[in-house]
Amino acid sequence: MIRFVVPLIAVLLFFLEPVFSLFSPIELGDIRYTLVPRFVMIYLIFITAYYSRERAIVYGIILGLLYDMFHIDIIGLYAFLYPLICFIASLIIREVHRHIVTVMFLSLSMIILLELFSFFFASLIALTSIHLDEFIVTRLVPTMVANSIFIIMFGWLFKNVIYKRVLLKRGDIL
Amino acid sequence: MPRFFSNKRLILLLVSIIVLVALISFSLKDRQHASLPEQLVKDVVGFGQSLFSKPAHYITNVIGNIDGVLNTYEENKQLKARLSEYAATQAEVIDLRSENERLLNIVKKEDDLRAYDSVQATVISRNPDQWEQKLIIDRGEVHGIEKNMAVITSNGLIGKVVLVTPLTSTVELLTTENRNFRVAAVVAGTKVFGLIEGYDHERSELIMKRIDSRLDVKEGQKVISSGLGGIFPKGLLIGEITEVSTDDYGLTKLAYIRPAADFSMLDHVIVTRRNVTTDPNGTDAGISDKDTKGEDGS
Repeated sequence: MIRFVVPLIAVLLFFLEPVFSLFSPIELGDIRYTLVPRFVMIYLIFITAYYSRERAIVYGIILGLLYDMFHIDIIGLYAFLYPLICFIASLIIREVHRHIVTVMFLSLSMIILLELFSFFFASLIALTSIHLDEFIVTRLVPTMVANSIFIIMFGWLFKNVIYKRVLLKRGDIL
Repeated sequence: MPRFFSNKRLILLLVSIIVLVALISFSLKDRQHASLPEQLVKDVVGFGQSLFSKPAHYITNVIGNIDGVLNTYEENKQLKARLSEYAATQAEVIDLRSENERLLNIVKKEDDLRAYDSVQATVISRNPDQWEQKLIIDRGEVHGIEKNMAVITSNGLIGKVVLVTPLTSTVELLTTENRNFRVAAVVAGTKVFGLIEGYDHERSELIMKRIDSRLDVKEGQKVISSGLGGIFPKGLLIGEITEVSTDDYGLTKLAYIRPAADFSMLDHVIVTRRNVTTDPNGTDAGISDKDTKGEDGS
């Protein structure tokens, strides 16, 4: 049963992302803030940290490919970025203690990285004309705030679910 | 410090970057048409997505209803004040409509740019990485939707269909930064024509360009689609003029328009198919053919 829970949550988050993006952009004062839900990325980093890097990369490629085909019609962008971020996260997590708070901060910083990559790509192919400082104020910071709320709410749950799966797998091997 | 890249990994990384660049350039070249596997993925994922989005819309509706109930008293007062005004306007509209019909019958004019059929659709997703202002709706080719149809809400024009698969379609919003997105517009009740081209993010307003400088445009006038772009029906409300100035070269006028529709929290939209024959190469199509775009100076 728990076998299927880990990929199931990934698919669930994949479908929830666009639902939450319906609430964005929000207007506070005169400025439009864009919130980008990055739930799948957060979850993949939790998988990288607590389960296995290979698995996270495989999920990243599959979900990234679906994301590209369904939402942005540029195939290969997120199918590349998701595994790349998982790979970088795995290099960092090797050096630090896998405490839940460290993993939370790691996923937050990886979202910054992902946002920066996607910003540079979007400016490269002229999807956007905003400058870096504007990008940080209207997009990066609100995205961080929204996603950190998500991490705080669900970080524990993710950790526990993935941990159960790991324990089960160890039991299989023994 | 461990070695980050063994030879094997380095080769893998290089190969994947090459594949990535090839894939991206392949898919960037032709984003207006979906290939068969893409259509399949879009339809299947779209189905799953609608299972999630529809309950979400239901919940937001319930919250909206509760919010509405809380404001009922205030609104009731305001609406009562406008009710008498409304009745008079209603009578006038019915009168004018019947007269219009009679006159059209006399001149035997059957085609009307204003007439359109509509398809109701539910928004199932908004592009989650919001570099592009795109929506995906749960109606597609089998429901009679075609590329470049105008998409409206009850408040006004919001965008047009850019990609159709059998069961879903992608809508690009007016707030896009895409420079090929144009809508032929006219100031309601006058002969002041122009093109809606571009969106000012700082002001959150649309820009209407190429208005003849001899014509008089005032703030507060309403702007509607003109139907002369070849694809959109006439008379879809776009917004209200907030400021008039001249363009960079001082040759034509330029107006800022506050959109009538609200672009956040879109849930139900209407896709319009006009009854008069459409011209697939019209201005509304926004074809990115550089050769025919001679007048696009800037």
